[in-house]
Amino acid sequence: MPELRINGETHSVDVPVGRTLAETLRNDLGLTGTKIACAEGHCGACTVLLDGVPVYSCITLVHTVGEREVTTIEGLREHPLVAAFVRTDALQCGFCTPGQIVSASALVASNPDPSTDEIRHAMAGNLCRCGTDPKIEEAIATWQG
Amino acid sequence: MARLIRTEKEVEGRYEDVWLVVEEDALEQWPAGPGEIVGRPAQRVTGPLRARGEARYTADIRLPGMLQAAVLRSPHAYARVKKISLEPALAAPGVRAAIGPGEVEVLTDEPGFQGQAVAAVAADTYWQARAALELVEVDWGVREPLLDPDEAVRRGQLVGGPSRYERGDVDRALAEADVVVEAEYRTQTVLHNSMETHQSICEWQGDRLDVYISTQSIWGVRDEIAAALGLAPDKVRVVCEFMGGGFGSKNGANDHTFVAAELAKRTGRPVRCALTRREENLASGNRNATIQRLTAAAKSDGTLVALAGEFVNATGWSGWASSTDGPMQMLYDCENVRTTLYPAKINTPPMKAFRAPGFVEGTFGLECILDELAAKLELDPLEIRRLNYASSAADRPLSSKNLMECYRRAEPHWQRRDEVRARSEGPWQRGVGLASQVWYGGGGPPSYAWVRLGSDGHATVITALQDIGTGTATAMAQVAAEELSLPIDRVDVVLGDSARGPYAVTSAGSSTVPSMGPAVRSAAAEAARQVIEIAAQRYEQEERVLSLSDGQVVSSDGGSWPIEDVVGLLEDAQILGKGARGPNPAGMQVLTFGVQVAEVAVDVETGEIRVERVVAIHDVGRVINPLGASSQVEGGIIQGIGHTLSEDRLIDPQTGITLNQTLDAYKLPTIADVPEIVTELLDIPDEHLTNLGSKGLGEPPIVPTAAAIANAIRDATGADVRSLPISREEMLRALAEAREKEKREAPATV
Amino acid sequence: MKLLQPSSLDEPIPSNTVLLSGGTEVVPLIRDGLLEAETLVDVRGIVPRGIDGTRIGAGTTLGELEVDPDIPEALREACRLAASPQLRNMGSVGGNLLQATRCWYWRLKFPCRLHGGDVCHARRGEHREHAIFGNDFCASAHPSDVAAALIALRATMQTNRRELPVEELYRMPSEDDRDVTTLEPGELILELDVPRPEASTYLKAMDRQRWSFPLVGVAAARSGDERRLVLAGVAPIPWVLDSPDDLESATPLPGTAYKVEIARALVRRALEAVA
Repeated sequence: MPELRINGETHSVDVPVGRTLAETLRNDLGLTGTKIACAEGHCGACTVLLDGVPVYSCITLVHTVGEREVTTIEGLREHPLVAAFVRTDALQCGFCTPGQIVSASALVASNPDPSTDEIRHAMAGNLCRCGTDPKIEEAIATWQG
Repeated sequence: MARLIRTEKEVEGRYEDVWLVVEEDALEQWPAGPGEIVGRPAQRVTGPLRARGEARYTADIRLPGMLQAAVLRSPHAYARVKKISLEPALAAPGVRAAIGPGEVEVLTDEPGFQGQAVAAVAADTYWQARAALELVEVDWGVREPLLDPDEAVRRGQLVGGPSRYERGDVDRALAEADVVVEAEYRTQTVLHNSMETHQSICEWQGDRLDVYISTQSIWGVRDEIAAALGLAPDKVRVVCEFMGGGFGSKNGANDHTFVAAELAKRTGRPVRCALTRREENLASGNRNATIQRLTAAAKSDGTLVALAGEFVNATGWSGWASSTDGPMQMLYDCENVRTTLYPAKINTPPMKAFRAPGFVEGTFGLECILDELAAKLELDPLEIRRLNYASSAADRPLSSKNLMECYRRAEPHWQRRDEVRARSEGPWQRGVGLASQVWYGGGGPPSYAWVRLGSDGHATVITALQDIGTGTATAMAQVAAEELSLPIDRVDVVLGDSARGPYAVTSAGSSTVPSMGPAVRSAAAEAARQVIEIAAQRYEQEERVLSLSDGQVVSSDGGSWPIEDVVGLLEDAQILGKGARGPNPAGMQVLTFGVQVAEVAVDVETGEIRVERVVAIHDVGRVINPLGASSQVEGGIIQGIGHTLSEDRLIDPQTGITLNQTLDAYKLPTIADVPEIVTELLDIPDEHLTNLGSKGLGEPPIVPTAAAIANAIRDATGADVRSLPISREEMLRALAEAREKEKREAPATV
Repeated sequence: MKLLQPSSLDEPIPSNTVLLSGGTEVVPLIRDGLLEAETLVDVRGIVPRGIDGTRIGAGTTLGELEVDPDIPEALREACRLAASPQLRNMGSVGGNLLQATRCWYWRLKFPCRLHGGDVCHARRGEHREHAIFGNDFCASAHPSDVAAALIALRATMQTNRRELPVEELYRMPSEDDRDVTTLEPGELILELDVPRPEASTYLKAMDRQRWSFPLVGVAAARSGDERRLVLAGVAPIPWVLDSPDDLESATPLPGTAYKVEIARALVRRALEAVA
């Protein structure tokens, strides 16, 4: 039975081998802020941090997470990026938004003042069908207010 | 007073005659320009919930005892189920029910496209349901699929009759024209790919059915289910509080909802049925491919004398004929126009509405051939559009049209051409192109809203509308706040539940704001009137000297009382204002217009195309929320860029199987593909349209993007790109063709 | 399904297992039924990770490689332009070399030659992303940007059984053996050795600016007078060009002829870049 460290708390989960982290977060732990939109590692809606690094939780097997600290949108609700996304209108339907913010949080943690090219490079794995990309760029570029 | 009228109702270019009860709309429009709240940027009222991951989408709903359904979909494009056995699936672990062809209407034993629903199971977990599907035994009789839309037209295999339109005498005009251009344009099949896939949860409570569904049309779903299941409409409650995108694909109940309803009935438990991404890209609709064989003719001075088009829509196994022919009929002042539209019935997944269906495709052809004509006439592309400006629609006056003003505002961007071209360097050739836009977007009745004003001075807008991600809730809050003179943070919006609010429009056809905004305003005005009546009695004032301002009831003699003091007299009770959308202007057509100017760079050696800048100038009446509106424009353009450059649903030509069902292979634009986007909205209220003068904005921005980019590519390279997407191979093909043409036309060297 | 997480190379790896590192390829393939296994072996405990001079642990992620200023340009750029940020953060360089083709017929389980069948569906069907070389038997395209870069750089690899040039990891699929690698069951890539060239580059043509597999990728490296060109996305395996003229002997399908034109331009540019 794996133990997961999520947003600073430890959870035991009883799920079979093969279950993904995204499914476990949503179905077993009720952390539905992490979305599943493609379920095969193509779109970024399920992005979480493992030890601060963005990964696709929909293709991460929960039994391989190990000791790594999982950070989901629920652990980033007070991050200034949340306010920046709202202020700049960097969301429309909002389904990809938690994943966008999780990815962006890793970028600004290592690079607080990213250039446009750096933002585009770091965010290209988070697809947004509504086309909020220019506003996402603005939110990240101005996240410190 | 309510008035019963027989009127024409337009949805996405389709008209139908309906009976409507309309209520007079007595409010004067606000003056043009920003008010206190309307016309000023507002943050999305649902923004924090969505950004923090707290918004509860259909995908996030977990009902106690909920089962998970999975659908067996036809692996063949055209087949017959000779025999099917559900028994092995029923015996599988966790399975609670299984249904097959005929047990619900949406399950067929004669699938006409890959992905059509055939059977379904409900199990304790989703993976159990999927595993059980593997056990369903099907004996397939595979048939030869018909995949070529032209062949379908030759065979007369259509989903509806061909539609023919003619004005003037095209043949004579062609014979007399100075210049005639003929060209064939093609557009591809494009998939909606809403991030939240189609999904529903159905739960029976006695003879009442609750449906939680990701939808653009809670009332449409209610009626569709009630009719299919023989229920009284109000026995079906439809809920959609947050919704992860639709773009036209979520206007109906769809197979998954009927599957969930039936399985829920059989098991006595709530059942969730959610499409996977792959199912989404097979069975939830698409923008159908088109073939457009076009002719444009002009006099040598640039006057258009004839436009003709034969349009073949690759509609799919079912669907309707989206108006690929519409722009040709509507955009220009041309006396002689002839169009024929064939909706071909082929063994591919059925189309559904997709953001300005038909007009996106038809505008690509029309606006490209117009540039080809301009090139032949050696006329400036902007000039030829002005020359042939249509000041009214063909058959009736327009409520408003400011396209000429859009053209005027496009000038400085258009004049960058020389500077942009001069930046061509090495293999990178640069150019500028433009294209015009016409589309509907007037909305209409019926639509209703309530505004409840509580004793704490907070207002709640209540209407059974859905916000599909466009920011509707925010716009409604702004309208109510403006009318009530309250700060926007004192206005809540409750929507998304057919049992908790009055009827509201489908979020389609750019109709939400123009339909709902006026209803919300009239409801707020009705609430405001009651506040003033109460204040007049309480403070012994004449009603006519009282008005609302900045959260206060103010008297012309200088007295003022906070609204919460007035409404507070009622203690727990509240004021309820009711509002209805008034009629559209009689005898007039309501249309939206615009122009986009695109700047591109093309690597002529590798076919790489970069869109560097798009300027979007649109005339959609009064703008409620400039911030949200700019986001809508950007979103339309970015979807348009995907449509133009990288998105292409591919079908195996032998089997009819969709090859790129996943988002690695079906290529949506990424953030790195997005150009600089400049949005300019004229913000001129339509004086004939409702108490707001607002039109819809969801669809207009995607309409001209492909043509503007293609025209910019021609400007940059001289290559005629006539087929979408303009992939590397299409770009290199067009460049080679242009080189050939140049060689042929170059004077022979002696 | 079981998961083993060995911590030492001495622990035996049972047969009929699937090895898992970053999981970006294996997890989706298992869920699609393209790979079947009773037992998964998470090899991250036994495969080295990290960069030490010219030696790169096979467990090093592409994300770690793309930001290392000391590794050769061609490899860094191949990593930077590969997949998406999340996939680069997850995927190991060893796993990247073993990824399967993106051929849609193969991924949709058409009974194609790579699946042991007797027809290449791509040759007669939709094949715009497919091969221009070595495509007679199977027209799939090898998707690894990194493999092309490593072969151009004359990298070698150490497995738990042998040492070999990366080039020799690959073999063309044939009637008798449909595999595209020479890796034996239970064989594990442990480490790479990547010599430093005087100059190297990687150029990539794709359908969008990021997050695409290569339509054509061109890796070039030069040491002294010796130049080496390797292409990604153009053949069932990474394709070594002995000279730019080899492009004239390409055998494109009707739908892949455009790739030859792109390859010509990128090869010329790559050679200029390493001149």
